[in-house]
Parts: sequence; C-alpha cells; structure tokens
Amino acid sequence: MGDILAFTISWIVVSVLGEMGVHALFQKGLYYYTATTQAVDGEAAFAFILTILTPVFAFIVVMIIYSMIRFRARDQEIRPSRKQFYNNKAFVSIWITISIVLNLMFFVHPTASAVEQMFNSERARYNSHDLIVNVTARQWQWFFNYPQYNIAQAQDSNGNSILYLPANRTVKFVLRSYDPMHTYDPYIGVVHGFWIPAFGLKQDVIPGETRYLYVHTTKITSFEVNPMVRVQCTEVCGPGHPFMEAPVHIVSSSDFLKFVKQQQQLQAQQS
Amino acid sequence: MSSVVSDMQGARSAHMKVKRMLPPVVRGLLWALIGFLIVNTLVSEVFDRMPYHPYVTRPSVTLGWVAAVIGWLLGVGAWEGFMKPYFGGTADWVVPNDWRKYFMYSIDHKVIGMQYIFSSLGGFLIAGFAAMLMRLELMKDHMWIFNNPGAYLSTVGIHGTVMMFSVGTVALIGGFGNYIVPLMIGANSTAYPRMSGISQWLVPAGIATVVLSPILGQWTTGWRGYEPLAGQDPAGIVFYYLGVFALTTSSLMVSINLTATILFKRAPGLTWNRIPMYAWGMLTVSLLNLIWLPEIQMTFLMGLLSAIIPLPYFSQLGSPLTYMEMFWLFGHPEVYIIVVPAFALWQELLPVMGQKSLFARQWGIIGLVFVMILSGLVWAHHMFTNMRNSQMLPFSFFTEMISIPTGFSFLVAIGTMWKSNLRLNTPTLFILMSLFNFLIGGVTGVLLADPVVNLQAHDTFFVIAHFHYTIIGGMVFSWFAAFYYWLPKFSGRMYNEFWGKIGAIWVFIGFNGVFFQLFLLGLKGMNRWVPVYPSYLQPMNFEISLFGFLLGLGFVFNFLHIAWMWHKGPVVGNNPWHSKTLEWQTSSPPANTNFDPIPQVIGSFYDYSDSKLAVATPYSDKKS
Repeated sequence: MGDILAFTISWIVVSVLGEMGVHALFQKGLYYYTATTQAVDGEAAFAFILTILTPVFAFIVVMIIYSMIRFRARDQEIRPSRKQFYNNKAFVSIWITISIVLNLMFFVHPTASAVEQMFNSERARYNSHDLIVNVTARQWQWFFNYPQYNIAQAQDSNGNSILYLPANRTVKFVLRSYDPMHTYDPYIGVVHGFWIPAFGLKQDVIPGETRYLYVHTTKITSFEVNPMVRVQCTEVCGPGHPFMEAPVHIVSSSDFLKFVKQQQQLQAQQS
Repeated sequence: MSSVVSDMQGARSAHMKVKRMLPPVVRGLLWALIGFLIVNTLVSEVFDRMPYHPYVTRPSVTLGWVAAVIGWLLGVGAWEGFMKPYFGGTADWVVPNDWRKYFMYSIDHKVIGMQYIFSSLGGFLIAGFAAMLMRLELMKDHMWIFNNPGAYLSTVGIHGTVMMFSVGTVALIGGFGNYIVPLMIGANSTAYPRMSGISQWLVPAGIATVVLSPILGQWTTGWRGYEPLAGQDPAGIVFYYLGVFALTTSSLMVSINLTATILFKRAPGLTWNRIPMYAWGMLTVSLLNLIWLPEIQMTFLMGLLSAIIPLPYFSQLGSPLTYMEMFWLFGHPEVYIIVVPAFALWQELLPVMGQKSLFARQWGIIGLVFVMILSGLVWAHHMFTNMRNSQMLPFSFFTEMISIPTGFSFLVAIGTMWKSNLRLNTPTLFILMSLFNFLIGGVTGVLLADPVVNLQAHDTFFVIAHFHYTIIGGMVFSWFAAFYYWLPKFSGRMYNEFWGKIGAIWVFIGFNGVFFQLFLLGLKGMNRWVPVYPSYLQPMNFEISLFGFLLGLGFVFNFLHIAWMWHKGPVVGNNPWHSKTLEWQTSSPPANTNFDPIPQVIGSFYDYSDSKLAVATPYSDKKS
C-alpha cells in the first residue's frame, strides 16, 4: 500500500508541474505565430490534447522512474521477486476503460468539433464577399490571381510572385497544379503543398484537381514582420522545392485597394 | 529438412576431394556481373535496339538487374544449396565451420540470423552516414555540402529507404527473429531453411541497389517514391524500385518462414498459451508483412512500369492520388511492422530482468493482434492534406483508437516492473528508454491524428520528430537492448556493464537532443525535404546537428563495444540472466543442433514464482 501511495503522490506532483509547464508553453503560443482564426482553432485543439495527456504521460514516466528506483535489485544475487502476480483485474479494467473513454472523448472533442469549426465557421460568412485568390503551383513557383479584380498575376517590381490579403476577411484559395507556361506537357504537373505557416493549415495541390482552402485573416502582418508569414511548398516537388516560396502581406482594406490599383496599372503597362 | 542439414555437414567427410572454387561472395559478384552484361547487352543491343542509343537503357538495366540478382544468389551458394538438390542432385558442398560460413549460402537459422543482423547493421551504418551528411548540410541555411538540391534529396531518399526496408523491417525480424525464434520454441531448424538462406542474400543486393541508384541519376522523391514526381525523375528511381523490391521480397520470405515455423515447429507442450512473447511479436509482424508487402510491391511494380515502358498510371493523365493511397495503405502498417517487435521485446525482457511473472500476458497478446488488425485502417491520416474534409473523421477515429492496443504494451510493461526485483543493467536501461521515447512518439501521434493539428504539422519537421521517436526511440533502442541481452547467447561472453550503461545514456541524450527540438522546429515553420531554408531557423538547426553527430557517434560507440566484447568479453554460463525461456536452456553459443533431445514444455516461461524450469527434458551440457 505504501508504494501505491508514494507513487500516487509523486504522480500528482509531476502532473501538476507538467500542467504548469504546458500552460506556460500555451501562453508563449504553441504555434509561435498565428494570423488566422483557423490557426487559433488548431492551436486550441493542440493545447486541449496536451492538457489531457499530460497526466497520462506523467503516469507512465513516473511509473518507469519509480520502478527504476524503488524496485531495483539492490545486490548482485539474482533471485525471484518476492511479489508474484499475473493480473490485477481492477487495474486492467480501469486502464482499458480510461483509454477507451479518453479516445472517444478526443474523437468528439477536439477532433470532430474542431474539424467542424475549422471548416464550417466560414458558413456564416458565406456570400459576404469572400476574397477569391486563384493559386497556381508550377515547378517551382507560385502564381496568385485575383479574378474579382482582374489581376492575372500579382507580382512585385522584380516580377516575383507576391500575395497580398486584406485583414479580417475570409479568403477562398482555389488551388491548382499545372504549368501555365507549358500547358501542352501533361507530365509536368506534380503534387505541391500550399502552406502559410502562420495560417495554421495546409492543403496539397494535386495535378488534375481543384482544391479549396478557406482562411479568415485576423491581423495586419507581413513576411517582414515574421518570416512565418510566407507561402511555402511542403510536398516534395523536385530539386526546386526548397525555393518554392513567396512572401505574404496582410494589410488593411485601404492598403489592399492600393495594392489592387497598383497591380492593375502594372498589368496595363505590361500588356 | 534435417536430413539435408546432415547431408551438407557430413559432406566434409564424405567428399573430401571437393574441387576448389572461388569464395562464394566473390563468385556471386562475378556471376552477377556476367548476368548483367549478358542480359543488358541482349536487351539494349538486340531486342530493343534504337538508333544512337546508350548501352544502358531503362528497360535493359531493369532486366539486367534481375539477371544480376539471380546470378548473385546462385553464386553465393544457392546453386549448390538450393537448385541442385531441388532437381535431385546431391549437395556436394562444403560448409566450413568457421567465419567463412557467414559469407555463403547457409540453411542454419543461426547463421542466417547472424547474416541478417550484419546486413541490417551495414544498412544502418550506411543510412546513418547519409543522415550525418544531411545534418551537416542543414547546419547552414544554404547549400554548402551538396552542390545541388537534387543530391540532397537523393541522400534523403537513400537514408529513408535503406533505414526502412533494410533496418526497420529486417533487424528485429530477419535478424533476431531468425536466430532466436527457433531456439525459443524448441526447434532445431526453421520450416523452410533453404528458402530462408536465399532471402538473406537479397538484403545486401537490395541495399547495394538503392545506394548505387545515383549512378543512374538523382531521384528526388524521398523514401516514398512519390508519383507523379517520380515520373519526371532521372533513371535513379528505377534502382529505388528495384532495390526496394529485393528488400521487401526478402522480408516476405522471412515472414512466410517465421509464420510456418511458429505454427508448425513448436516443441511438444508449447501450446498457444505458452508461446513466448517475442515469438508472438514475430507471428503478428509476419502476418502484417504477408498482408501488406505484396501490396506495396505491386505499387512499386506499377511505378517501375511507369518509368520504363512508360505507362501513365500516376501522371496527370492517370490518377496521381492513387499512388499515395496505395503507398500509405502499406506505409502505415509498415510503422507497426517496425515497432511490434519492439513491443514484444519489452514484454520479453522485463520479466527476466525483474525476475517476476509477466503481468496481464493475455492483454499483451491482444494488444499485438489488435495493433496488427487496426494498422490497416489508419493509412489516410497521412493524407489529411489531400482528401475531402468529410473523409477525415473515420480515419481520425481509427488512428486515435489504435492507441488503445498500443497502450496494452505499456500496461504489461509497467505491471511487470511493479514490485519486481529489477536489475538495472544495460538491456533494462535500453528497454526503459524505449518505453519513454515511444511514449513521446505516441502522445505526438495523438496530436497528429487530430486533423486540424495535422493540417499544420503535416510535412514539417514535427512529423519527422514524431516518427523518429517511434522508430529510433521505439525500435532502435529495443534493438540495442536485444543486442546486449542476447550477446551472451551469440558469443558466450558478457559485455561490460559500465561501458554498456555509458553507451545507453549517450545515445539517449543524443537522441532526445535531436528529436525533441525537431518538434519545435516544425512548429516554427521548417518544412521537409529542404537543404535551403529561411535563416531564422538556422541557429536551432545548427544545434540539432551537433546533437545529431553526438547520436551518430553514440551508435558507433555501442557497436564497437558490442563487437569488442563479442571476442574479448568475460565468458559467462549458458544462462546468465536466469531466464526461463527455451533459448537459454541450451548451450551459449548454441551448437549446430540446438536441442538434443527436443525439450518437452510443461509450464509457463514467465512464471518466476519458483526456480523450476518450464521444461521436462532440459538440455544437458555433456561436457560439464
């Protein structure tokens, strides 16, 4: 009985310390930098799972360390342990029940609930002028096209692709993988991964298919402020894969209109 | 089968005048070269001749490779040991009883097991060296070791492929499985010893093929051979498919052999209730192999046909996602193929080291079996980023549920440790470290099973950290435990406890120093397969690389220690651990015939309440 008591106390102490550590981590931000509601949702799910699993983790770790110290053989002589038991129905039943209950709970929350939230929270904002951005991935470059503003390819003065988004807007990314410059070559499309680390989610871009990704931007920020605000390819797509990135700017609506006007002028000059 | 064994061993006295021949490995290389040259020439110069063609084309190298592998297998001894007896000839062939027997075809499961152990060790060192090169490259945020990203990506691919298919699936199954399982179940040979002898020699062929793939050109897809990208790759990808085919064929043959051995060659009295845990692990993992390896072989064959004919299975004209589905349909069970033997090892070693009865044995077995069953239902959690949102939930559900049978392994382990008389020696230390590391892998696995977290963490270093925690943390640490635990069995000698513990703590620190930081690095925005990355990630990568080199040296240190003690360690008795399982009830190292007579099992191997043996006719060392 003494061992069980000593173990339980150490387990509780370690769990409490663990929870404190985990919560300190949450305060700092698990995702380091978040710029959309989706990223915040994902971070919350992450935090919830870690909070629940901390005592479970502590249970096993304390069990290992406790057994290592308390039940170690104290001399060289090899002899059977004095306690021999093959089963403990109560312990096994509790273990199995808790693991089933925990898993069912995780499935309901955060798995199902967060998926629901991440993908359906935008329903309320439907038809409230989502910004549509057509994203084309080729080897090895991103193209951003704003069909509502007749911008065929957003680019800076050097001709590099740039992505500008207004803050506090829902953005619908339409993702396609093909090479607009070599449309005659059917073998050139490969799988790319569209990811903006600060946005908290990614979607693979698959040749021959069209995929959608919704985000709701929450703050004004840019690649210059935090390098996590960048478009990055995450699915290996050939030797140019590491270089397949583009800076992102999230700006106020008036700055966004300025950007639109500037791009339209640039496009007029080029044509 | 035993008649063939005696045939071959008696051959030395019966046929004293055997013609001299080249050493088998050299002869195998020669026959491989001849086979390759003949078939490659026929294909590229005669049957498939094109104007201004190169001598080596994709079809010719593929068929030439097949001929080379057949030549290699026959040359190392399958001709005398397999083909001639198969067609009714005599096995007029000398098996020298010294180190040379490890360099030729053999039908002794102990020799084959040892050959597998060294093959996978070779693969581990080669692939580990590739990892060191990768970590060296990642110390800076720009190219400085490799001169182009394709070379880096080929290195990543070689590292992953060799580690997965020649270490992860081979070391504990082909290696320790072949050596230990027949001993453990009281058999004198495996069920199909001649096939087993062939399967081993496919491993060096497969490793060599993958490692030499850059000769044909870089391939940039990593160990997964992702189509449609692979369709664009230069011809190196052909050797990826062929090398993996050789390695998976080898694993498949091992699995057939081990399944049949465990089912049909058990000693009398060794009922289902008494099968040792490691044998249970080998049985479940063999069934996993039998289900999933043919599936991935078919996928890779389709990939190969796309590369050499070419057929547009997986290009934009075909179905790019089909490759991924088929790959991960195998790819997730593969993870369990790697760790199920580790689970079994925990449950095998802890009762011995604690001299205490195995706790909740039936739940341990249920856990192994349910992991085996569920592992085929979870593959699509690798594909949350490219599936419809509505498909996510069922796969997320099964992925989370697999933590329940996995948890049973922990249940058995900690229940066995509780109130035991635990000897804290090197194998125990490695097992406890393996428990701890795999636990971190498991917890982060729950995170990755959650779709919204997965959408952020997928394809980042977070995932790399997670699977290295399960594979190195779980399997490789258990592999070392197995090395130290069975070293007295292999050699009759004991390792040095002090240096063993130093080695264990060394790799533990190196390992956690590398891979714990990779979680944070992934969340900070480091994506995979990049030799070049934003400069804000550089300080952390630099530090990780230093820990990485520490880890690599730690592995080398452990191997050197084991190798040294193999020859120079203090001699110990037949059963230094006071284990009750059968492999310790014979001499260490075992003689050519494991058991004479075959033991009769009358009790449980995991009952340490008294010192009575579980066998009625124990081995008696006639010399003493």
